Order: sequence, then C-alpha cells, then structure tokens
Amino acid sequence: MLALQVLSLAALVVGWEGAVRLGLADPLFVPAPTAVAAALAAGAGEVVPRLADTLLKALLGYGLAVVLGVSGGLVLGSRRLVHDVAMPYVVALYSIPKVLILPWIVVIFGLGLGTAVLTGMLFAVFPIVLMVAAGTRDVDPALITAAVSMGATRGQVARKVLLPAVLPSVLAGMRVGMVFAMLGVLLAEMFAGNRGMGFHMQRLALAFKAPELFAATVIVSALSIAVVLFLEHLNQRLGRWR
Amino acid sequence: MLLGRAAVLLLALVVWELVAAPLNPLLYIRPSSLPATVLRMWRRPELPPLPQHVWLTVQEIAAAYALAIAAGLWLGFLLGLRRTVGRIYEPLLAALYAIPSVVWYPSLMLFFGLGPASKIAFGFLLGFFPIVLAVLAGIRQVPAQLITVAVSMGAHPATVFRKVMLPAMASTLVGGLRTGLALSVVGVLVGEILGSRSGVGYVINYAYGLMMTHEYAVLVLIVAVAVLAIDGAGALLEARVRRWAG
Repeated sequence: MLALQVLSLAALVVGWEGAVRLGLADPLFVPAPTAVAAALAAGAGEVVPRLADTLLKALLGYGLAVVLGVSGGLVLGSRRLVHDVAMPYVVALYSIPKVLILPWIVVIFGLGLGTAVLTGMLFAVFPIVLMVAAGTRDVDPALITAAVSMGATRGQVARKVLLPAVLPSVLAGMRVGMVFAMLGVLLAEMFAGNRGMGFHMQRLALAFKAPELFAATVIVSALSIAVVLFLEHLNQRLGRWR
Repeated sequence: MLLGRAAVLLLALVVWELVAAPLNPLLYIRPSSLPATVLRMWRRPELPPLPQHVWLTVQEIAAAYALAIAAGLWLGFLLGLRRTVGRIYEPLLAALYAIPSVVWYPSLMLFFGLGPASKIAFGFLLGFFPIVLAVLAGIRQVPAQLITVAVSMGAHPATVFRKVMLPAMASTLVGGLRTGLALSVVGVLVGEILGSRSGVGYVINYAYGLMMTHEYAVLVLIVAVAVLAIDGAGALLEARVRRWAG
C-alpha cells in the first residue's frame, strides 16, 4: 500500500518534470520539480524565521481558540437553555465567511501580530465550539446518574465520567482547529501582512517567482501535515489512557 | 424559544450600540446608523455599480460549484467503487485536506491571473474536497448484503445504483454537496478580497480602501445574509432528501 502510494507520487513528480522538459507546460507558470527543489534549497535559510513567525501566530490564535472554544462548547453542550437559544447564532457565525470582516480587523489591529492572531482565533474557534458542544450533548446521562447514585462527588463525576466521555470530541475539535488557525493566519498575512509565510507567498506570486512560490507552498503544506499528524499521534496516546 | 433568540439578537444590537457610541464612529459602526446608510447608498451611489459586480460573483460561484460537483462525484465514485484504487489514494486525499487551503491561492493567482478564473479555480478547489469525501463516506455506508441480494435477484447495475446505493448514501452525499457549496462561496469571496478588479469582494475592498466604513458594513451584512439564505435553502433541501431516503 505505502509502496504504491510513494510510487504514484513519484510518477506524478517524474511526469510533471517530463511535461515541463518537453515543453508541454510553461515553466513560467508551472516550474519543474527540479527547479522547485533548487529554490527550496536556496531559500532554506530565509524560510525558517518566516515559518516560525507564522507558526507562532497560529499557535497563539489556536491557544485562544481552544480555551474559548472548549469552554464555550462545554457550556453550550451541557446547558439545554443556552444551547437552544444560542446555537442558531453560533452556527450562523460559523457559516458566515470570516474573510468579510478581515478589512475591519486590519484597520483596528494593524499589519502585525494582533490581526493575524485574531483572525486565526476567529477561524478556529467555531469548529471547536460546535464539535465540543455536540460531544458534550452526546454524553450518556445514565453514566452520570449511575456515578452519582454510587456516591461520586461532583469533582469525581467531572474527572472520571465527563472528561473521558467528552475528550474524543475535544481532541477532534482541536485537530480541526489547528488547520483553521493556520488558515486564518496565512489569510491575514496574505491580505495585509508585512511578515510571515502568507505575506511572502503573496509577494512571490505578484513577482511571478513560480519556483520560489511552489517551494514555499510545499513547505507550508508539509508543516501543516506534520502538525496534524502530531495531533493525531497525541490523540491515539490519550485514547489508550481512556 | 423564538422569543429568547430574538431577545439575544436585540440585546447584542443594544450592547453594540452602547459600546460603539463613545468610540470612533468610523471604525465602530453603530447599528442605528445603518438604515440611513442604506438609504444614502440607494439614492446617491458612490460605489461601483453593485448589481453588475454581484452578478459576476454569482457567476463565478456557479462555475466553481458546477466544476466541484462534476469532478467531486467523478473522482468519488472512481475511488469508492474500485476498492484497491481507493485504498491507495484515499489517504493522500485526506492528507491534502489537512493543508490550510489558502496556501494554494497564490499559485492559482500566478497561474490564472487576477481575473475571475483564479476565483473560480479556488472556489472549485475548496468545494471539491467535501464532495469527494462525502461520496467516499456514502459508498462505505451502503450495506454490502443489500447489493448482493439485489444482484442475485437479477437487478440491472443501474437499478442497483438507483434503488439500493443512492438511498443508502443520499443523506451523506447531500451533506457533502451542501458543505461544498458553502466552501465554493467562501473560496470565491476569499479570492476576490485577496485581489481582484471586479466582483463583490472588490467592491468591499474598494469601500474599505476609501474608508467608507458605513457602506462597507452594509455590504458585509448583505453578503452575510445572502450566504445564510443559501445555507438555509441547502439545509431545507438536505432535510427533504433525508426524509426521502428514510
């Protein structure tokens, strides 16, 4: 299976290279993989600080979104009245394209850290809220009743019953949230940044530097896949604890 | 319940009004100032002609979504019905889904330019993934024994597809199509706001660039309401399909 996957990816890269070499694709728009690799190697030194900048903003926005999203989701999921009144608004805020208010955020928070962190938070918080709320609502009330009737204290119920039951949806929300936080930060940087990978990529596109742009795209993609795989790994370890 | 919801909305508007009152009126728009803005925009339009730009955006969304449906259904059924091919390529598809989609936009902009083509391409890309994944998930939900029974009773493959597979996967499929539409809309809007010379996103940027913030707020509200209306229509359709599929 893995061999076939690697093989088809390799075939794709070789075919791509061949298409450019044979003149089937214009290297001005679609650079050959070798050209992208050369750009990757040449820009490796500059890329690290930019990537660190974007990742730091994403982590800050993500942290805020996890705190707000998990607590909001727990409240929404456990209080019936709050759920029934507020849920339509949360869903509506989730589905309205956040990019619409980006100009407003930029004017208030400027071109730097604040705008990117806030945008990342804004993109990540709603999926987390919705997933945690859904998971909290699905906790079997019979489990709580059983624990209480056997004399469990409130703290014990929270730690031993609720936490393990809600944990999978919290973790699922956290995994999705990270991708959304990265998305928000990159988008803010592309729209009005002066640093970071998003800003850099937008500049490369406008300057028609296709090999460098593809190299940057590859790096950001690889980084996000790595982050998601790491969260998934964490997920599995916590799953064993349950 | 409805009363509670209306009260929350009203409360939010009042709080916003009170909080915004002492702040810079150019940055913190008071809800009470919006009706006058709408009237002004209607009587003495200073923005680029809105109907024409809205129409362009609608066309871009329609093109992106149509392409996403066609490609999504095709690839989904291709991967879903051929188990070995599916097992090889599904993880790759899932890995692509883990990448924040905006990273593709600069490359699309370089390739397709600043015109509508790059917006259509980005809207297509965003709408395509949920549709493929929904088809794959839907096919997995079809009970294999039902197909075996239908085939053994001599049902034609087309009949099996229409009478057995489609009802079993309908609700998942429609859910994916609905998410796909929402994401196609987002893709086109993101593309327009990141850089364009026409479309609703362009007008929004134009208004904010000239600090016509009241007009900007009205435009954002109009687009938000339109998006919610589309999504609501999708939800109704989804509910109907779910009833049909039982």
